[in-house]
Amino acid sequence: MVDWVQLTVPAAIVTKLASPTYAVQYLTLAESQKLSFPGAADFVPIDTRAWKVASDGKELGRYIVDRVIGKHLYIDYAVTLDAGGRVQRVDILQYREAYGGEVRDRGWLNQFVGKSRTSPLQVGTDIRNISGATLSCHHLTEGIKRIVNRYGKDTR
Amino acid sequence: MAKTLASVRRARPFLGTLVEITAWRGKACRLEQAVECAFGALERIHRLMSYHEPGSDVSRLNRAGKVPVVVHEWTYSVLQTSSELQHQSKGLFNIAVAPTLERLGLLPRSVERSRQPADLGQEGAVELFAGNRARLRAQGSRIDLGGIAKGFAVDQAIGVLREHGVLSGLVNAGGDLAGFGPHEHLIAIRDPRDPARLLARTALRDAALASSGLHFGFFGRSQHCSIIDPRAKQPVTAISGASVRAASCTIADALTKVVMLVGTAASDVLDGYGASALFVTTTGEVLATADWQGVHSLAA
Repeated sequence: MVDWVQLTVPAAIVTKLASPTYAVQYLTLAESQKLSFPGAADFVPIDTRAWKVASDGKELGRYIVDRVIGKHLYIDYAVTLDAGGRVQRVDILQYREAYGGEVRDRGWLNQFVGKSRTSPLQVGTDIRNISGATLSCHHLTEGIKRIVNRYGKDTR
Repeated sequence: MAKTLASVRRARPFLGTLVEITAWRGKACRLEQAVECAFGALERIHRLMSYHEPGSDVSRLNRAGKVPVVVHEWTYSVLQTSSELQHQSKGLFNIAVAPTLERLGLLPRSVERSRQPADLGQEGAVELFAGNRARLRAQGSRIDLGGIAKGFAVDQAIGVLREHGVLSGLVNAGGDLAGFGPHEHLIAIRDPRDPARLLARTALRDAALASSGLHFGFFGRSQHCSIIDPRAKQPVTAISGASVRAASCTIADALTKVVMLVGTAASDVLDGYGASALFVTTTGEVLATADWQGVHSLAA
């Protein structure tokens, strides 16, 4: 039989642990492009956020970066389309969530300061992971649909 | 002191959330390749277990009704675990609440609408047969693996990283997570009443932690709870969030739903799976099992 204990948490303690801002840079644009189309490929710009990708004159597909913005977060992401305009993969480049628009907990933010994508992470002490009610990525799904509609239809 | 090791951290969207994988190098291990393969497993699980994709095993089962269909061994395994959980929790864990989720607008309406099927109680929603065959027990019933598939996906991704010789890894599917390796992974638990706040911190070592609760709207839309009480066919109202720690993320993910439904009355089920839990009531009470690790950091 499991025993339960009631925890009385003063409001001040909870506030002290507050995390108004949380940000992670996963991939740079160049790294993401390389992951999406391994090997030598030419990225020919279509517009400011989309590229036609070719190798030896043969079109391999398209690579598009986009950002979805909500009240509490924004996500920079990249969509790779194959030559037929179908989604091959979606990579998150940067993820950032901010509540209230101000940084109340410098300690929380400071763990990301000066952290480039290539700098090593310290096991267990470095990046705090968060468990909580699942964040839906409905708006990301909508963003991907918009990209497929705009860039996926005229690939030929 | 933790050692500094080369690592890779990537995120991709699957199963309706962001899945993040962090892997620290082992000997003769190609980190990038290991993480790619782990995402490959996640993509496969997404395709097999999505309620929305017409070709998924879940959609095929829902369309076939009482006609048995052959499903992937991973789907079969999740269905088996779901049946066991439903039995152990006396019907509280239930994968057949999809019609209620549809009625509340939390899942899109099925094309083939049907009557609400009879309450199955503790009987599994699905009958399982040899050769990875399965069928729904009740005609007109519909299943949704949204309460367990993310946990299973985390466990599979962890397995792939291990197979590739990764030293230490953490997979986080929108808050359902598991870590392995020689080091502890520090985890912060979000306050289910206010996403800007953290409620507690805990450390994981070869274990999983999953949380359920209110869904936070991205555009300030009203929050809703997608955990359905199979007895009342209504969303949970007394508890605003629950976290469960267990050896596997599949079990942790599923048990958060049971704790959300009955709070302290989940003791026996938690005990049976060697799991511990923490939950917050809508009136702001925080309760945890006595063995909940990290309580001291909360109260300190």
